[in-house]
Amino acid sequence: MALYQLSNIVQTYGERTVLSIDKLMLEAGTITGIFGPNGSGKSTLMRMLAFLESPNSGTILFNGKKATIADTALRREVTLLTQQPYLLKRTVQENIEYGLRVRGRTNISGIAASALEEVGLSPQTFLSRNWFELSGGEAQRVSLAARLAVKPRVLLMDEPTSSLDEESTERIRNAALRTKTEHNTSLIIVSHDREWLNSISDHTVLIRNGKIESTHSL
Amino acid sequence: MGFIYEGLIKAFQLLFDGNPETWSAVYITLCVSSLSIFFTILLGAPLGFVLGYCRFKGRDTIRMITDTLLSFPTVVIGLVVYSLVSRQGPLGDYGLLFTLPGIAIGQVMLGMPIVVAMVANAVETADSGMKDTLLTLGADKFQLLRATLWEIRYHLMLAGVAAYGRIVSEIGISMMVGGNIKWHTRTITTAIALETGKGEFAMGIALGVVLLIIAFGVNFSVAKLKRRAGQ
Repeated sequence: MALYQLSNIVQTYGERTVLSIDKLMLEAGTITGIFGPNGSGKSTLMRMLAFLESPNSGTILFNGKKATIADTALRREVTLLTQQPYLLKRTVQENIEYGLRVRGRTNISGIAASALEEVGLSPQTFLSRNWFELSGGEAQRVSLAARLAVKPRVLLMDEPTSSLDEESTERIRNAALRTKTEHNTSLIIVSHDREWLNSISDHTVLIRNGKIESTHSL
Repeated sequence: MGFIYEGLIKAFQLLFDGNPETWSAVYITLCVSSLSIFFTILLGAPLGFVLGYCRFKGRDTIRMITDTLLSFPTVVIGLVVYSLVSRQGPLGDYGLLFTLPGIAIGQVMLGMPIVVAMVANAVETADSGMKDTLLTLGADKFQLLRATLWEIRYHLMLAGVAAYGRIVSEIGISMMVGGNIKWHTRTITTAIALETGKGEFAMGIALGVVLLIIAFGVNFSVAKLKRRAGQ
């Protein structure tokens, strides 16, 4: 059974149709790369897959079940890392532990430290830092650590490497691959870096003018 | 000019000698304003969140009413509360007229539009990524409310401080609903009005000094919080 099944999805903002997808199926346990020109509807699609936005019409099935944004349990299986992630006005440790706490997890000592190590940041240096003491690249990696910590079933990443240097990009790539193999997490990644996307993905989807133009298995 | 100078000297004597009448007004003011600000924030912050966060029919009208209430004259609020808590009023059975809780009801009505408007504004202008981040990390509706209020905590404190400044310096409600009863409902502002009317400038000045110190503390806090909120 496909992880996501999208049928007849239409999303409009005012007069403008930003997304019009007849059919799209995404498999579990794989990495899907999505690419396309600016304004093609990639981010809107990611928000829908993260259950942050409902389409005007059409249905999204998640694991065979009809998905709605009001379903908190469903939303907790999926997490989205945006291009310019927002850090809560707290310490790095509190940022990483937030997702665990809202799920009612109590025995969480050491999780934040290991999540930081996953993304190549030293827990000794970063755990107690405040949100405003981080550079853009560090904030991006802390945000990824916060998402990895909750061990999601699906990790969505929208342009995760756009503000990172080569070394950090490689770390993100390794962290993504590790979470897929170790936790069987499905990844859906949007990127302009086609080469990087091909190096990491099992499938790619080209989206243009809100429509799926082609899908490929690599 | 002489009487002002003499009044000032005597005012400091009243303050430093611990004049019971002077300090009673200060104590009552602090008690009733603390009670008022507690309920103002307790009721105003969630309402401000709803108004700033949710999109519903009539929202713009409620925003307009809230903004109008920001400049509601205190004597009019005093009149409204008086009519509610007086013996013939709907809350007459509770015996709230000429009591501190009665004054507090009016002061909550005075401070709440400030907190509601400022919190709604802070929620509206908060980083749009904040809501998505909280939701994508798994927050439910109640956790979203709590975390959002925590995220805008400096704005919330700023709203509380601004509301406190208005509450502590009002006179219309305290005079009309409290009745300016010595040892019971006489606040700093009503005492200043009374003593000045009697020609007793010293006590008026002494209480004015205390009010100025409170106002300075409020403004100092506002300046500090504005810096933190912008960080």
